[in-house]
Amino acid sequence: MAERGRTSPVSQQVLLDAKLNQKRSARTRLRRSTSMYIMLIPGILLVLLFAYTPMYGLIIGFKDYNIFAGANPFDAIAKSPWVGLENWNALWIQSKFRQAVINTFVISALKVVICFPIGIILALMINEVRSKIAKRTLQTVMYLPHFVSWVVVGALFMNILGTTGIVNQVITALGGETQRFFMDNAWFRFVLLLTSAWKESGWNTIVYLAAITSIDPALYEAAKIDRANRLQQIWHVTLPGIASTIVMMFILRLGGIMDAGFSQILVMYNPTVYASGDIIGTYVYREGLGKLNWSQGTMVGFFNSIINMILLLGGNLLSRKLTERSIW
Amino acid sequence: MAKKRSAGGIPPSRGERVFEGINLFILIILGALMLFPFLNLLAKSFSSTTAITTGQVLFLPVDFQLGTYKYVMNESQFWDSLKVSLIITIGGTAGSMLVSCLTAYPLSKTWLYGRKPLILFFVFTMLFSGGMVPAYLLMRTLNLINTIWVLFIPFLLSVYNMILLKNFFEEIPQEVEESAQLDGASNVRILVSIVLPMSLPAMATIGLFYAVGYWDNYMNGLLYITTPSLRPLQTYLYQVVTEAINVDEALSMDAQENAALNSEAIRAATIMLACIPIMCVYPFLQKYFVKGMRVGSVKG
Repeated sequence: MAERGRTSPVSQQVLLDAKLNQKRSARTRLRRSTSMYIMLIPGILLVLLFAYTPMYGLIIGFKDYNIFAGANPFDAIAKSPWVGLENWNALWIQSKFRQAVINTFVISALKVVICFPIGIILALMINEVRSKIAKRTLQTVMYLPHFVSWVVVGALFMNILGTTGIVNQVITALGGETQRFFMDNAWFRFVLLLTSAWKESGWNTIVYLAAITSIDPALYEAAKIDRANRLQQIWHVTLPGIASTIVMMFILRLGGIMDAGFSQILVMYNPTVYASGDIIGTYVYREGLGKLNWSQGTMVGFFNSIINMILLLGGNLLSRKLTERSIW
Repeated sequence: MAKKRSAGGIPPSRGERVFEGINLFILIILGALMLFPFLNLLAKSFSSTTAITTGQVLFLPVDFQLGTYKYVMNESQFWDSLKVSLIITIGGTAGSMLVSCLTAYPLSKTWLYGRKPLILFFVFTMLFSGGMVPAYLLMRTLNLINTIWVLFIPFLLSVYNMILLKNFFEEIPQEVEESAQLDGASNVRILVSIVLPMSLPAMATIGLFYAVGYWDNYMNGLLYITTPSLRPLQTYLYQVVTEAINVDEALSMDAQENAALNSEAIRAATIMLACIPIMCVYPFLQKYFVKGMRVGSVKG
């Protein structure tokens, strides 16, 4: 801006270019596009091979798949006989599978009802901290659990909730009986909720805290003039200000309903808590891959994907109607 | 924000001070609860077997010892697994960033022909997937089982991360790129020398997401690797941890023997060693990812 001599030829050129653009914009657009399409190639290939090819594999669910029927496992798909809905029917006869479906929905619903609001409340609380240092320190501490793996989280909580852990020490000191949190169907879902709240609540605040920063400070001033106290300010200014973000996060969360926490549960569960903790993901892992029951495992995955898609699309439609925001 | 609010002229009332005090107190307690599991296990990893069994260890090590760490570091499996994890985390993150930038940049251009269908092509994979079994069979078909490639090549492009990056690129003022275009710079040149330097917070954020994703994943090692020397660290930990449930949960309190309990301190040391790399990197990247998340996700 300081160099006059340079800016004017450039702006002249912009004008010139704009005129030319009208004539040959389509051609230049296409020419400029070529290198863009080349850039897209690696991404497209990766997605085609590793995301779309397995979708073709879904037809295994409708076949009596024999892995040795062809030259390789994928060739064998085409060569295995069709059986229609036989695998589908065989699945629903098994009470273990029905239990896994029920557990998936129950655990997911509990997580949405209990863990989802915790992130919002925590964000509102952190936002009210005046001291910058305290705020930063709290955030650092609370984001930390998000960065460790479920294996580590499992180990940390087995240590605390184990038979010799601190929690049981307190329970016995108070005259209670030692609880086997990881082997008791009455406790296991509580353990799942506790560990996922511990791991993700802090992290979930980021999006809300970001949304809060874009609220107009004048709204708070106006609220103060109306003699609103801090709680009233939170209720009437902050919360409405992040409402659309909350709705969007809720929809994203709906898309995750069918995964009630596969990597979490696989670390923590054991046969004694299958009744309360076995979910669709762990069921496929055990019965499909573990017992080489390919066709049924695929069918479960198919069922899972369909429900998941319906939930996400439905949620997105709802969001578009309610907040005029959508994920895509 | 705090300054802006007090600038209104109304000083904080006593009620407000009480509110802030209680709020901070609750948050500090919650923060302590979030740190406690780490501190407790860290203390145990440095404590003696007897101190652990008698339940004396809380925040600080009792009967300080380093034997557990020496034991873990003498395990060749630990070093093999650490090596695998470092390779896939560094190689995978670098590859992921390359592919994600190359994919996100064209898709951030509204003038690109076929942009909408292309975005749909990518986003559809977030909605629908083939599931675990066909994915496993694909890896077998491609002869990727028991190779280090299977641990990162299939996961190079995370569509979610790519979309975040695309949203970020869209925020960059078009004028800057257009003037470079007039100077005759190619698309790749513009991406490398203008767009990427302007997107450092987003790049740091996405890079961290990828790195944590690779480092923390234990499923891939469980699904696709049977050779012990190719097992990533988290998969190795998974085995250490799940064996532990079977050992000390299954044995009743009084039947627990020294051997089983010794393993508790060793397990603690192994877990702590595995946590170190992420914990070293994360605090330094915090300012970036808070900023990066803001732009990438707030935009609908």
